[in-house]
Amino acid sequence: MNKHTSMLGAAGVISIAVLAGGCASSVERPDGKLQSAESAVEKAVSSGAREFEPVLLNEAQNRIADARELIEQEQYLEARRQLEKASVDAQLAGARADTAKAKQAVEEINNSIESLRQQVDQRQ
Amino acid sequence: MNKRNMTLGIAVSFSVLMAGCASTPQDNAKVDEARAAYDEIKNDPDVVRSGDRQLSDAREELTRAENLLDEGAEIVRIEHAAYLANRHAQIAGEQGKHAELQQQIDSAEERRKELELQMRANEAQQARREAKELRLQMEAMQAEQTDRGMVLTLGDVLFDLNRAELKSSGESTVRRLAEFMNEYENRRVRVEGYTDSTGEASYNQGLSERRAQTVRDTLVDMGISRSRVETKGFGEQFPVASNDSSGGRQQNRRVEIVISDEEGNIETREN
Repeated sequence: MNKHTSMLGAAGVISIAVLAGGCASSVERPDGKLQSAESAVEKAVSSGAREFEPVLLNEAQNRIADARELIEQEQYLEARRQLEKASVDAQLAGARADTAKAKQAVEEINNSIESLRQQVDQRQ
Repeated sequence: MNKRNMTLGIAVSFSVLMAGCASTPQDNAKVDEARAAYDEIKNDPDVVRSGDRQLSDAREELTRAENLLDEGAEIVRIEHAAYLANRHAQIAGEQGKHAELQQQIDSAEERRKELELQMRANEAQQARREAKELRLQMEAMQAEQTDRGMVLTLGDVLFDLNRAELKSSGESTVRRLAEFMNEYENRRVRVEGYTDSTGEASYNQGLSERRAQTVRDTLVDMGISRSRVETKGFGEQFPVASNDSSGGRQQNRRVEIVISDEEGNIETREN
């Protein structure tokens, strides 16, 4: 009887622990996330995000800076979220920069086609 | 009794924990936004082709957000997943746009190459046409084969009497010569001036020299290198007709263009 009760008690403790763990998942230091966020920013910069998407790029960089402070304060969960956001912000900034550059390239090549066509027409 | 209390205790701690995790709206604007962003691009063929990875990340995060919403999870968790889903969908959309633009670039590049080829073909064709035309012109200008080489005799159409400035009709004649020289880049010319015997010989000598130089300067202005043009004034020498008649004098007032051989050599005429 007594034994049974204590087992139930143990089950209760375990379920509490499991639920608590589910609620505040990953309290690990998000060093990997920090790295990938930083490399996402680097990649965005090399795509020309500083020129084409400075606001979004800046946002990503601010999130990384915030995350560093949160890590200092051992608020790993919130730091991790900031870093995940920073990564996708930076990726989007880079992707938009790529698109913008491609648009420019289309414009340039169309202009050169237009001027070639004019030259061809003139000569005929 | 004891057992019942224990069970109750467990149940309470369960519900407290659930409540601690969740403050539960059934709908969430951020999740809706993410879903809309995902739905907008999920069937876009450009996105499917080139933003596949981001598209599946978007789907995964969206599913997570929706599940968290159903479970009544903490709003910060729901909205975080929604944020990531939304961004992944946006990135996938950009990658799709980029792929579409890249295709435009590729096909435009092809069109440009075709045009360049066409232009080069046109230029070659035009060059052949012009070369043929120039030969016809040379014939029309009555360039003659002589012992000095090809000699083009320009009558007194170039200059007014006693003047050394080209008439406008003379200029177009010289232009044809310049075109010819552009066409045959190894050829050089000597411009020789001749007069009739009216007036002082020394004056005629000077006039013939100035006229030859005027023709050379005009050729140079038209882009012919100065080194390809010699000048010589012969004054009254080498008449081609009698100076006794006005018709003969008109024939003697002339400029002769002696065209070099292909190596650029010109036979000199001794005076």
